[in-house]
This record gives sequence, C-alpha cells and structure tokens, in this order.
Amino acid sequence: MNYRALLRHETFLAVLLAIVLVVLAWQSDRFFTVANLLNQGRLMTEIGLIAIAMTFVIATGGIDLSVGSILGLVAILLGVFWQNVGLPLPLAIVAAIAAGTLAGLFNGLIITRFKVPPLIATLATLALYRGLAEGISQARSVRGYPEWFYVLGQGEVLGIPTQLWILLIGALIASIILAYTRWGRTVYAIGSNEVASRFSGLQVEKTKIALYMASGFAASVAAVIFVSRVSTTRSDMGTGIELDAITAVVLGGTSIFGGRGTVLGTFIGLCLIQALKNGLSLAGVKGDGTIMLIGAVLILAILISNVFERSGSR
Amino acid sequence: MSMKGMSKSFVGIKVLKDVDFDVRQGEVHALLGENGAGKSTLIKMLAGLYKPDTGTIVVDGEEQKFASTSDATSAGIATVYQELLLFPELTVAENVFLGNYPRKAGGWIDWATVRARTRDLLDQLDSHDLDVDTKVLNLSVAQRQRVEIAKALSKNARILIMDEPTASLVESDVQRLMEVVTQLRDRGVGIVYVSHRMPEIFALADRVTVLRDGTHVGTRDIGDVDEQQLVSMMVGRSIESLFPKADAEIGETVLEVRNLNHGRHVRDISFSLRRGEILGIAGLVGSGRTELALTLFGMTPATSGEIVLEGEPVHIASPRQARDLGIAYVPEDRGLQGLVKPMAIRKNVSMAIIEKLSSGIFIRADAEAKITRDAIERFGIRSRNIDQAVGELSGGNQQKVVIAKWLATNPKVLILDEPTRGVDVGAKAEIHSIMGELVKQGVAIIMISSELPEVLGMSDRVLVMNSGEVTDVIDRSKASPERVGAAMTAHRLEETA
Amino acid sequence: MMSEAVAQPARRLRRQNFAQRLFAEYGQELVVLAAIAVLFVVVTLVNPRFVNPNNLVTIFSGNAYIAVAAIGMAMVIMTGNIDVSVGALIGVLATIAGTLAVSGYPIWVALVAPMFVGMAINAVIGVLVAYARIPAIVVTLGALSILRGGLISVTGGTWITDLPPDFLIAQKRFLSVPVPLLFMIVLTVLAFLWMRYTAFGRSIYAIGGNREAAVATGIPVERRLVTVFAIHGAFAGIAAILFATQLQVIQSTVPPNLELTIITATVIGGVSILGGSGTVIGSTLATILFATIGSALIFVNVSAYWLRAVIGLLILATVLADMWRRHGRNGAAA
Repeated sequence: MNYRALLRHETFLAVLLAIVLVVLAWQSDRFFTVANLLNQGRLMTEIGLIAIAMTFVIATGGIDLSVGSILGLVAILLGVFWQNVGLPLPLAIVAAIAAGTLAGLFNGLIITRFKVPPLIATLATLALYRGLAEGISQARSVRGYPEWFYVLGQGEVLGIPTQLWILLIGALIASIILAYTRWGRTVYAIGSNEVASRFSGLQVEKTKIALYMASGFAASVAAVIFVSRVSTTRSDMGTGIELDAITAVVLGGTSIFGGRGTVLGTFIGLCLIQALKNGLSLAGVKGDGTIMLIGAVLILAILISNVFERSGSR
Repeated sequence: MSMKGMSKSFVGIKVLKDVDFDVRQGEVHALLGENGAGKSTLIKMLAGLYKPDTGTIVVDGEEQKFASTSDATSAGIATVYQELLLFPELTVAENVFLGNYPRKAGGWIDWATVRARTRDLLDQLDSHDLDVDTKVLNLSVAQRQRVEIAKALSKNARILIMDEPTASLVESDVQRLMEVVTQLRDRGVGIVYVSHRMPEIFALADRVTVLRDGTHVGTRDIGDVDEQQLVSMMVGRSIESLFPKADAEIGETVLEVRNLNHGRHVRDISFSLRRGEILGIAGLVGSGRTELALTLFGMTPATSGEIVLEGEPVHIASPRQARDLGIAYVPEDRGLQGLVKPMAIRKNVSMAIIEKLSSGIFIRADAEAKITRDAIERFGIRSRNIDQAVGELSGGNQQKVVIAKWLATNPKVLILDEPTRGVDVGAKAEIHSIMGELVKQGVAIIMISSELPEVLGMSDRVLVMNSGEVTDVIDRSKASPERVGAAMTAHRLEETA
Repeated sequence: MMSEAVAQPARRLRRQNFAQRLFAEYGQELVVLAAIAVLFVVVTLVNPRFVNPNNLVTIFSGNAYIAVAAIGMAMVIMTGNIDVSVGALIGVLATIAGTLAVSGYPIWVALVAPMFVGMAINAVIGVLVAYARIPAIVVTLGALSILRGGLISVTGGTWITDLPPDFLIAQKRFLSVPVPLLFMIVLTVLAFLWMRYTAFGRSIYAIGGNREAAVATGIPVERRLVTVFAIHGAFAGIAAILFATQLQVIQSTVPPNLELTIITATVIGGVSILGGSGTVIGSTLATILFATIGSALIFVNVSAYWLRAVIGLLILATVLADMWRRHGRNGAAA
C-alpha cells in the first residue's frame, strides 16, 4: 500500500521532470545540449551529495540543518590545514573531511545522548559551526591550490565532470543501501516507530549517530568539491544549502515525519530543481525568479501528491 | 434519549447496521461487544464525532442532528473517552472548562469562577485532594479520569458516555469510580457504560445491550441474564472452555533470577522458570510487573542482582542482548512498542531476526517472504498478502504478528505482557492455544496479565507482585482468586515461604 | 511504563508554595532571566561602559524587531507547527513599507500596510497547513523560496533611500522611551495576557498539546490554525516596520538567517518545539539574552570573527541545560 503510494509519487515526479525538460528544450536550443546538461550535473553535485545523506536523516524522522555550516567549516579547514599548518594537500583534504565527519558525530551525540530534538540540535550547531568557520578564517580566503586539485571540481573523467561521477556512484550506493539492506530497513523502521524499533532489538542510537556522521561526511566531501570548483575558500560557503537539500528531499517524496522516502525520489527532485534553475535562466528569467518557482513547485508537488494519495488509499 | 435505526459505513463497509439504543434518566445502560462490534462507532455518533448514514437520535422527545461535538454537548451529552482527551500542559481547572469558559465583560475568562466551580465539581466527585491549579501532566490516570468526569459535569451533562473507563485503572480506583458512577446515576444522569469487565457490569448496570458485527443482538435487564449468556451473545456461540490449559512436560530450569533490582518498581526479585512452564505474573497496574519484564529484556538494565540463563550468569544491557540470549518480549502496548504499523507484515515479522535473514548487509527477500508465509499459516494471521501494512489488520491479528516476530528468534524464554488485551474472544483463544503449543515444544513462558481468570487458567505457577516486590508464588493447584487477590493488594508479607 | 510515568509524580503532587509553582510554570523564563543577569554583572565588572544607557538602548531597541517576530513565531510553534519563511517575509514587508513611503503614499499607509500584507500571506500558508494538511515545514520552506526569490527578482536587491523622516519611527522616542523598545514590551505583555487569559489564547495551547482532544472539545482547529498564522503575519509586519525604519535606508534583501535567529530565540525562551507549552515572555527574554551576548562579547574584546562561534556555543549550552532541566524534572520515564 505504502510502497505503491511511494512509487506513485516518484512516477509523478519523473513525468513532471520529463515535461519540464521538454518545455525547456523547446524554449531554448541551448538547454538540451550535452555540454549544458553535463555542466548542470557539475553544479548540482554539492547539493546532491548533501541531499542524499539528508534523505536518510529525514527518513528516520530527523533533520540536519547544520550541513551548510559544516560545508563552510570544512572548506575553511581545508585551506588552513594546507596553507597555515602546512600539510600536504591530500592529507589536508582527508583531515578536513575527518573534521566535518566529527562535526556530524557531535550532532548525533547531542541528539541521541541528550535527547535534544534534531531540529533544535542542528539549529544550534548551525550557528556554532558557521561561527567556528568565521573565527578560524578571520575573513581570509585561501587560493592558489595546485593544478591537480581542480580536476575534482572543474575536470572531467571519460568526458563527464569528475564530481558527477562521485554523485552518481554515491547515489547508486545510497539507494542500494536504503532499499535492499538491513541498514536501510532500520532507517525506515526508526522513522515509522522508534520505540518499536528499540523493542525489536534494532540499534536505534547507533544508526542515528551513523547517519548524522554520514551527513557530516557528505557535507565535507561537498565542501572539497566546492572549493575545487570555485578555486577558493570563504567562510560563508554553503550558506542556505541545507534548505536547498531539504527541498530536494521533500520534493522527492520523503516524508518529513520519517518512515518514507527513496534516494531515487531525491535524485529526481534534485534534477527537477536544477533543470528549472538552468532552463529559466536560459529563458532570460533572473536567477532569483527561479528560486521563486522552485518554492512554488515544492508546495504544488506535495499538494498534488497528497491529493493523489488520499484519493488512492481511502 | 434514544437512537433508532443507526447505520454507518466506512469505505463501503457497513460497521453498524440498523441499531437501536436508548438510555433513561438515572440508569446505567451497559454496552457490550467484542472489538469491532461497533460500540465505539455507536457512541461516537452519539457524541457528534461521526455522522450517521441513517437513523435518528432523539433527546427528550426532540429529534437531534449532531453536526459536531458541540451540538451533542448542548443537547446534554458528554463523553469520557478511553484515551483521555486532556491537555497535559494545561491546569486541571482549565481542562475542565476549556471551550466552555465562563466570561467576564469584554470576553475575558473569569478565572476565579473557573477555579471555584472546578473545585466544587471535584468535591462532588469526592476528589478533595486534587489541586485545581496543577498541570494535568502531573496527575495519575485515575485522577485524570475524574477531571474528565468533572469536565462532563461542567457542561451539565444529563447523559454521560463512559468508554471502557476502568481499562487502565488499578483495583482501588475502580472501586472509587464505581461509587462515582452510582452517585451520578442517583442524581438522575443517564449513563452509557462501555466495558469488557463482567463484574463491573453486574455491579453497576440496570440494563445491558450487546452488539455483534455491527448488529443489535439484544437488550436485557441485568437481572435476566448471567455471565455465560452475555458471553455467548457477544461471540455468537458458547465458549466451552475459555482457557484450554495444555499439559506440557515441565523440564529443567531455564531462567533463574536472584535479587534483581531496578529503581522503585523492581525490588529484590527472585524466581525461577522451567522449560515448558507458564509462569503467570499477577499484580495491579503499577505493581512492577511490566518493569520486571523490561529489566529482564534489557530495556531498563538491572542495577543489581543476578540473571542466570541455562546455568550461565548473564548480563543483559539491551533488548538486542536479550534477544541474542534467547529472551523475547511481546510488549504491553502493541501499537507503540510492538509494531511498526505502516510497514508490511513481512517487514514486521523479520524485524528481530533481520541480521540472520541477511547475507552481509543485504536482506534475503526470499527467505524473508518464506518465514512470513510460514508465520501467517502457523498463526492463522488473516491478511491479504505479506506486503499488507500491519496497521490495516485487526487487533488480534496484529498481536499474532508481534508474537510471530518474536517466535522467529526461537526464544528459550518468551515474556508475554498482556497478550490478549484488546483482542476479540476468538483471537484470544487462538493466542492461548499458540501458548499451549509453545510450551509443548519446551519454550518457557512468562505471562503478565491483568485478567485474573486468564492468569489462573493458563499458568502453572502464579507469581504475584505488589509495589515492586514479589508477595506470593502459588502453584496452579493452590491458586485461587482470593489468594492471588490478597497478595496483590496486601502489604508485603513477611518472608513468604 | 505508562503507569510508572504517571504514578510517580502523582505522589508528590500536593499544593506547592509560590516559589515552586513559579519555577514549575516559568522555569525556562527564569533560567534565561538569570543568564541575562549573570551576563550583565560579569561584563560590567570587566568593562563598566557596558551599562552605559546609550549602549543598553542600542542593544534592546536594535533587536526589538526580533523579539516582536518571535512573539508570532512562539504562537505558531505552540500549535505544533513551524515557520522557516518569516525572515524572508520580514524582508519583503520591509521593502513594501519602504517603497510605499518613498512613492508618496501617506506615511500611515506605509506603516500599516505590512501588517495586512503579512496577515494575508501567512493566512495562505495557514490554509495550506490546516486544510491541505501539508506539513508546516514544507509549506514554509516553499514560501521561503518564493518570498526570497520574488523579492530579489522584483527589486534586484537595490537600496531604498530618501526615506521620509516621519516614516523612521524606530528612531523616535515616545515619552523618552525608544519606540522599538516600547513595541517590544507592550506587545509582549499584551500577547502574554491574551494567551494566558482568553479562550482563543488557551486554545493555542490546547491545539499544540493534543490536537485530537482539541477537536473533540469542539475547538475549530483548522480555523484557529489559519488565524494563528495570520496573527504571526501581523507580528512579522510590525517587526518589518521596526527593522525597516531603524536606518536611513532599506536594503531590499532578506536579512540572512533571520528566521533561524527568531526560531532559536523562541525555543531557547522555553517554547517546546513539539508544541503545547511556553510563553512569549520567554521568547522576548531569549532575544534580549542573545542581544546582550552579542554586545557583551564586543565589550569584553572578543574578536568580531569569533562572535558567532561564541554565540553558537552559548545557544548549545542553553539547549543542553534546558534538556537537563526537563529530564531532571520529569524523570527519564518520558
């Protein structure tokens, strides 16, 4: 029953995406070109990685608002580790990602050990991590990375942007984990009924901590890609990205109350948002007008899918 | 008040067919029926929560059409629901008058009157100890219920509907509630009393109406029926033996508990349990029965004491460990603790053995499907298919899913906490026969139940708890309602032999 | 489990004295108040200029708009909902006010219009939440994009200058009290009394505490939700005016992270994120606490770069203290 309702939402989204693609292609001949589409894939990777991890977090009934700040913090740490501490760049990358994952661990610990609602916990760490980024950076930016580093954010592998590979592989692994493994099952079970999950011997706390760590990790990888793509670090990187990621996840059919959602849905939601952004800007709509449309699409998509679901199951 | 020809359908299924019901001033009219017989639908129509498809409601000779609960309220009908509808963060006085505040000029609430009248209403209910300014979250269930009754009285209700009012009360509070009901009846209030408990019905009711499968089976004066007749009216057949005790061979000791402690509700508990044995645990709500189970199951790990499983001392710190040691717990609150309702039967049944059903981290869907089909067949779970959401099943079938989930772990010790609460008579018998089958296979069962006949009927030995301590352990042959009841309510006996 | 949770406190439930009751009911407010007091004492010892009246006025009136917005937010959160679009809404309303003021409309129109526009926009949000049953966080996430995107694409982020002096009410004083401060205090007190002593106000707690019970009690839950969102919009309108008129110019963008600041203030002030409890006095005190922290850090010479980190740390500490207090009171049973 549930499963079918879920498929329905994804089908509906996919159809919507197809329509949007057709309309946009018809609107502008620059839209449906390989170069443009690949470039869009490049641009959506950072939000995409975060959104995939966020799908898991929201499916357990949680939320992680601190990802944008973790992204900023990791970007700053990358620069600091490399330039100020003098680590070799690969080591600096690893250290920065480790720090971001630790930030996620910290979120998980606050949420599970102190029973702080995730919304509040990550709201607090959103302020904290961004503050740390600002404090550490002292408004300095780090530039001048070695050439090989830019392969990650600006280069290509087999004709496809490097980071798009990372996103696709990440999405594939994540969707397999969520759909076919006992870890994924645990995520849904916690999101639907945490108490019963605990009574069934599932590892509720460990799973949650792991997911917030994964969320921190995804934001950290996104940070490295971000730095590589724009060739610099700034402490305000990633501001507001949490809302973009949550929009993609919710648009993709994940219930904000937990227990329901798929990586595929999130991915389609992501593509839809990116296509709209790009297509509209090609059609001459200014960047901010597209944000507006995305908001409207979010509300409408959930509204329509709600109506479908109610008429279908009742 | 009378209702005639009440019918109601949900999603095309008729849950109530042409039912008549009435209540007179100053009488207690009991409403009886199995789960799903249509009792709650009927009273919800009376309370204005549901609109009847057909039928009329007449109050004091006037036909009424209730569009909302406030219509029913103004017609003098008030309801005390099973799940008490109070607001924990608001005070007692506020809860009583919420939505019905006395006003001063300008629309401001007259708080002095609110508090004074609440005090007065509670005093009428002999609840002089209840502080009107306390937040409801600080109250016990029985106290909350009196607040609900005060709320009903505050609306000058002439008809009071009580939906299973004693379901979650301890014995002493039940007595007190029955006094309150009697007192209200004597003041001329008509009371619709929904309950499963026969003793109460015979003590309180003037008349009794039985519903079955949404139809009206009959209305009798209480003097004209006995318990057997009522049960057979409810289930449509006479139950030969309510508690078929299967004789199983009782083997060696599986579980030995010595001086177990956790908090104030598990104090210095010792007992042993043998293969093939059913150990019934009796006690009032709050006596520590469930807390003991939770401690054995690792939910609230023991702070001191010993648990010896098959001769090995074990330390149980989590449900996971308990499971791996062969202890299973079918919890008290099925919806909250036992099931993930939106999930498929398949996923619920496999939940506790998901590691065993996986290769690496991947779930073996075929193995999962097989084990689920086997469970559906073995326990007679009535469902469309293994992918049906558990929430769509009836209470009895839901309970069987929880039992199936835990039996999949092949437990040595199975703890059943109120295994037949909220399931109908048919499913109840099925669950009892499953228990019989299990002990024959050598499983040791601990059964917690508030239903004394069930405890006495099913158990080989009865362990009685009171205030977190064991007050008596009685063999089946010597167990009588009087002895168990005495141990449940008495102060701790000095050193029971 | 249930029985334990219920039976346990019932035993020590008897008449409490005034102090106990005050603490039970306004514990979080008192904690925040104490934090403010401690902060004042400590910072003043380090740097006496901190208590200079000019500085205090700057602290309080500069942040009054946050407190005003937090009042509406508190009501919304008490019903068990949330609004992440309020920052964008304030940006939009401020721009509307400024635009009206410089296009020759009477000043009072410019000052009053934001309230009504805010009510209208949030009423729509309320309808989507209450009747279409879309979770509030989803609706307001969408509204956030629409308002933010709409604002920038219409105005291009330009500055509104040459505001008429009469329009700049946040810089005025009434009976020598700065107007924003006056608004903050009066609105907080009024809202508190309204929520404490009127039937409508009590129904906000009821809806957040137990929605089904509220329906059964005959409270028109859907209608009330729409109204609460609309009231929240009106407060956002007032907040927008205070925000727009404190400087000589209005930048027509959305103040970054304003919604998070407002939500945090509300929650730190003791409004349960799950709905059903809290007061607007708490949210206002929490706003004052944040403002005091921000200013205090400057006075004790914390580098501006570390400001946000320290604030973040303090927020976290307050959240943890709050959790500790709640668990301590209710036991681990919940």
